[in-house]
Amino acid sequence: MPARSLSLTVNGQSHLLDLAPDTPLLTVLRNDLELNGPKFGCGLGACGACAVLVDDRAVRACAIPVAAVEGRPVTTLEGLGGPDRLHPVQKALIDEQAAQCGYCLNGMIIAVTSLLRRDPDPDDAAIRSALRHHLCRCGTHVEILNAARRAAGAMRERTHAGEVE
Amino acid sequence: MTRPEEPSRSRYLEAAEGLVVTASATDPTLYLALHPGGGVTAFNGHVDLGTGIRTALAQIVAEELDVPFDRVRMVLGSTQAVPDQGPTIASETIQVTAKPLRQAAATARRHLLACAAHHAGCEPDELEIVDGIVSRKHPANWAIAIGELVRGQLERIALDADCPVKPVSAYRLVGTGQARTDIPEKATGRWAYVHDVRLHGMLHGRVIRPPHTGFDHGEHVAHNLLSVNEDSLAGLPGIVDIVVVGDFVGVVAEREEQAARAADLLDVRWRKAPAIADLSAPEDPLRDHPASARVLADNGNVERGLDAASSPIARSYVWPYQMHASIGPSCAVAEWSEERLTVWSGTQNPRFMQRDLALLFDMPEDAVTVERMEAAGCYGRNCADDVTADAALLSQAVGRPVRVQLTREQEHGWEPKGAAQVVDVRGGLDLEGGPAAYDFETRYPSNLAPTLALILTGRVSNVASVTHMGDRTAIPPYAFDNMRVTVHDMPPLARASWFRGVSAMPNSFAHESFIDELASAAEVDPVEYRLRYLTDPRAIDLVHAVTERAGWTPRTKPMTMEREGDVLYGRGFAYALYVHGTFPGTAAAWSAWVADVAVNCRTGEIAVTRVTVGQDSGLMINPEGVRHQIHGNVIQSTSRVLKEKVEFSQTGVESLEWGGYPIIQFPEVPEIDVVMLPRPDEEPLGVGESASVPSAAAIVNAVFDATGIRFRELPLTPDKVLAALRDAGLAREPEPRAQTRSLPAPTRTKSRRSLFSSLAGVAGGLLAGGFLAASPWHSAIRPIVKPDPATYSAMTIARGREVAAAGACDVCHTGVDGTPFAGGRAFETPFGTVRASNISSSVENGIGAWSYPAFERAMRRGISRDGSHLYPVHPYPSFAGTSDADLQALYAFMMTQRSIDTPAPKTALSFPFNVRSLMAGWNALFAGSQNFAPDPQRTERWNRGAYLVETLGHCSACHSPRNALGASRTGADHLAGGFAEGWHAPALNGEGPSPIGWSEAALYDYLRTGTAADHGSAGGPMSSVVASLAPLPDTDIRAMATYLASFSDRGRAQGSEMAVPASDHSKAVIEQAAREAPAGNRIFEGACASCHENGAPIASLSAHTALHAETPDNVVRTILKGATAPALLAPEDKRGGLEVMAMPAFAKSLSDRQIGNLVRYLRARYAPDAPSWQNVEETIAQARKAVGR
Repeated sequence: MPARSLSLTVNGQSHLLDLAPDTPLLTVLRNDLELNGPKFGCGLGACGACAVLVDDRAVRACAIPVAAVEGRPVTTLEGLGGPDRLHPVQKALIDEQAAQCGYCLNGMIIAVTSLLRRDPDPDDAAIRSALRHHLCRCGTHVEILNAARRAAGAMRERTHAGEVE
Repeated sequence: MTRPEEPSRSRYLEAAEGLVVTASATDPTLYLALHPGGGVTAFNGHVDLGTGIRTALAQIVAEELDVPFDRVRMVLGSTQAVPDQGPTIASETIQVTAKPLRQAAATARRHLLACAAHHAGCEPDELEIVDGIVSRKHPANWAIAIGELVRGQLERIALDADCPVKPVSAYRLVGTGQARTDIPEKATGRWAYVHDVRLHGMLHGRVIRPPHTGFDHGEHVAHNLLSVNEDSLAGLPGIVDIVVVGDFVGVVAEREEQAARAADLLDVRWRKAPAIADLSAPEDPLRDHPASARVLADNGNVERGLDAASSPIARSYVWPYQMHASIGPSCAVAEWSEERLTVWSGTQNPRFMQRDLALLFDMPEDAVTVERMEAAGCYGRNCADDVTADAALLSQAVGRPVRVQLTREQEHGWEPKGAAQVVDVRGGLDLEGGPAAYDFETRYPSNLAPTLALILTGRVSNVASVTHMGDRTAIPPYAFDNMRVTVHDMPPLARASWFRGVSAMPNSFAHESFIDELASAAEVDPVEYRLRYLTDPRAIDLVHAVTERAGWTPRTKPMTMEREGDVLYGRGFAYALYVHGTFPGTAAAWSAWVADVAVNCRTGEIAVTRVTVGQDSGLMINPEGVRHQIHGNVIQSTSRVLKEKVEFSQTGVESLEWGGYPIIQFPEVPEIDVVMLPRPDEEPLGVGESASVPSAAAIVNAVFDATGIRFRELPLTPDKVLAALRDAGLAREPEPRAQTRSLPAPTRTKSRRSLFSSLAGVAGGLLAGGFLAASPWHSAIRPIVKPDPATYSAMTIARGREVAAAGACDVCHTGVDGTPFAGGRAFETPFGTVRASNISSSVENGIGAWSYPAFERAMRRGISRDGSHLYPVHPYPSFAGTSDADLQALYAFMMTQRSIDTPAPKTALSFPFNVRSLMAGWNALFAGSQNFAPDPQRTERWNRGAYLVETLGHCSACHSPRNALGASRTGADHLAGGFAEGWHAPALNGEGPSPIGWSEAALYDYLRTGTAADHGSAGGPMSSVVASLAPLPDTDIRAMATYLASFSDRGRAQGSEMAVPASDHSKAVIEQAAREAPAGNRIFEGACASCHENGAPIASLSAHTALHAETPDNVVRTILKGATAPALLAPEDKRGGLEVMAMPAFAKSLSDRQIGNLVRYLRARYAPDAPSWQNVEETIAQARKAVGR
């Protein structure tokens, strides 16, 4: 498709880019905006390594054309929080040491964040189900599940304390 | 930009101040550098593969030096800085390569103490170092930071291999849990993997591999390329170069998506790959493969023992090809500059990489720098080396930095696989029930998988080498008196290399299954039986510890555990000491498993519910790291045992994505209870692989315990298990399912004949019937001077734009490059190619010289300006009814559009179809000429909709069946469904196959956004139609919906009354579909379910019309081509309410066979009451031809 001017909002910042509208969102995030969080895993929407939040819902950036997110806020791993201001899910993953190679970590954090926005108190089955189509090859599942539980607890505590995310 | 570069070794050796520890006074190999600021840099030749050795090694250095952990920075792998310590394999890092590092730190510590003692005027043993501060013990009145001690000048000392190291009792850091240093950055997107390297001026490359996917040796390899047609990329933006060296083919572009598209479109012709043996069933090919036997042990007298056995047992165990399956396909960046090459690589073997690159380019090794970056986890060897050489070749060709990202399909296809293996064991019981003999033979086709570019360019031979790698853990751990162990070394079949546990996993699968069989035959508890023949005290301790933790109860026969409904429970045990490296090898950690399984006798599914796993790792540097490695090994090996097998086609690897090679998912992960034996005084042992080794036998033994069935071939997929359960009379057959509804039996066979095939009938009929009499000749209408655009009012032009949109003119008349109205799009027919004409305002090549009467005649009667007939590909029978005002506005619009002066390619049909005048007879029969007449009984909106649908919209052109002469049927068949460009255009007359009726709202959504919540998305030509309708006002779309919905009133009931989605959640339907199409079920779970399973935000597949259609055409084409709706189709202001979704194309990811399996599953799963589709294979072959690849 011929390039045209597209307006994107990523992590709260607006960008105006000349792009072919069918360019995968992932390519734009990684190459044009130089964001390392979302990763290329399969290009087929199957593994979840590329997940980002669009309108608070986890989507697979490798399989959606950039034009689809015009006018919709995109949040990447970087936008959730940084080293100085960790998102509770990021903090939980770090506290549980829930990474081996860490390549799938982006998708896990995005998926857990999205889950906890829908369901602040998920049981084990709900967590496993939400992460079902996020693949991890190193076998870090146990630590990731622990982190998801820990994050849910931390976020509920924050809510009780009246903090607004 | 992200350009990580490690300072070279010389920077440290030539620094102004500090302390460096090298291999010797003459050997500058650098292990340690202490800096005046108190920091420490430590160097190791191994790399971190995600195991956390970066952290463990830093712990060792900090411990030995007594500096704070966070002051130690590890440099791993980068060739210009670190020692050459070989590849990172066989769990050697802690066991082997950490040793000189510890010695270097001890040497430095001793040196620091001596310096400090000199300063303090005391003896070194009066000093101590705590947290990087050297102080006097008694009296504690003097202290100096170690940074101070190395200030002012550079001192170089030699590593003393005999320098005493700390006793374990003095450890404070080693042996305690240490948080990994990399995780915070990884969890926030700040960490730079090799995929994240971005250099100034960097271009993007893709490679195109030969058709013998996953095979790297044989005479044809490196001699397969026939041609590369560079013209096939003409007109694509951003293309920088096409690089061909031997069988290496790559493209370079400015942007990554441009390179990806170029790689897809580049016309590369290869010789046909030779047929291969069916490695999906590896036993026979391995037995048939030439091999040389190597006897590793021959104790006692095996033959005599076998002869004397009271009950001889001979068993064969088969292990499939498996893959590392890294989550991120490999990636690398290369930069050529002035005879120097720098690569950023995820290689596991930086030195091998450096040598390979030097060989590839015939340059000195020291002109090559390998910056080792972390990549996606790899458990042996993936394509990291291959892609590094690919990037180097492309960078050399274009003289700029190039990043190459492999595709998922390339990584799956070409990674060196974990080899298949066949193990035969003969043995039996003696009269006392002990092992009479043990005759073990293992076959292992490995190779070293040379870096692919070296082979493809012809730099190294295409003749594979034979490696001696089948011998890992080939010696059983039991004291068998009569024992012979033979390994059959053989050249590779598929491209293979080491993969976690290498041959030890299959060998232990055989050892630990066989001894379980012996125990069972002897009617002795399998744990007790093993303990009788285990001699290693640490092994015995471990077996006791693990079985005690698991609460093991002795068992002498299977099926003693409880049964719950359809589920049988069982538990199994296995033990292994992983022995790796060149035979006789080195032992890593000891490991033992107790696996608990649940076997579902209705579905054949095996759930590993719990694994109690024990490990004796010696001293554990970072116990938490060890625990995580054990978890990882348990989960990954469970996945390998239950699910994993590489499938092969006749020419190469067929499993190219996660549907074809499914791995474990979260719901399947067992509970894991880890028992780590405290052995602080023993040597630290490698922990990266050991806990994988007992997995297969433990699980298989547990399944035996549950069912009495012994599986000797992996993986344990549900279909295989169910078949065995059936044979054993244990399978539970499902209850017959009550039908939720029945589709009306097809009352007629709809014509699958396309417009074009029908033309054959037209031509034949006309020739035979002599329709030529029907005034075939028309006069030309003379050309005019192109009207001045100023003649037309803005309002007329705007109306014309809407008319063009409603007529979807540009769907067919778009240029091949997307230029509006340029024409040239090819419509393939069995008789030749019909090309859409240029209808831009070009005087020479378009319709710029056409008068309105000429235009109107073409639109209403299908006669071109020059008097020749147009083929009814142009739907003039529908357009005939268009109002004069609309046609005039359309004419005005077309005349004011850009002139495209490139002629469109001409239609060239073969005789008789090239005789355009034959169309005259056709027209006499079928062409309409009536203006549209509104129905006064209906609303204005309905009539507006009818007008749009029946005239301009020409919906019937695709959605009505055609008669034998290619005309749209009328009457009851009007809008009763047809075919367009190979896609089934479903009935719009309310009798379509959709299980849910189309409401007006659904039709509106579909036409406006390309998607309807209860029906799914538009695909194929319909998606272009929806895009074309975008300029129409909502009122027009609504009118079309009103008109079309009125048919539903005549047809089946409206959606809310339909029961179909019930089948969505029906367990019986799901299980039945899995039974009917198990292979398709696996592909669906891995490739499709992430978006399409229940609860997904898009329309349920149960409601999709395509799955209820009489033929699978639309399903097949959607799988091949993907779908862009609604992501690209919905107008911007409508998008907010829609999910951001698009479906990727699977044409290059799934084989025809896989798609066939998938399609059969989809039908069974989502249209359970419809009959199975016939001719699935033919449909796929046809669609594949149309789609390409």
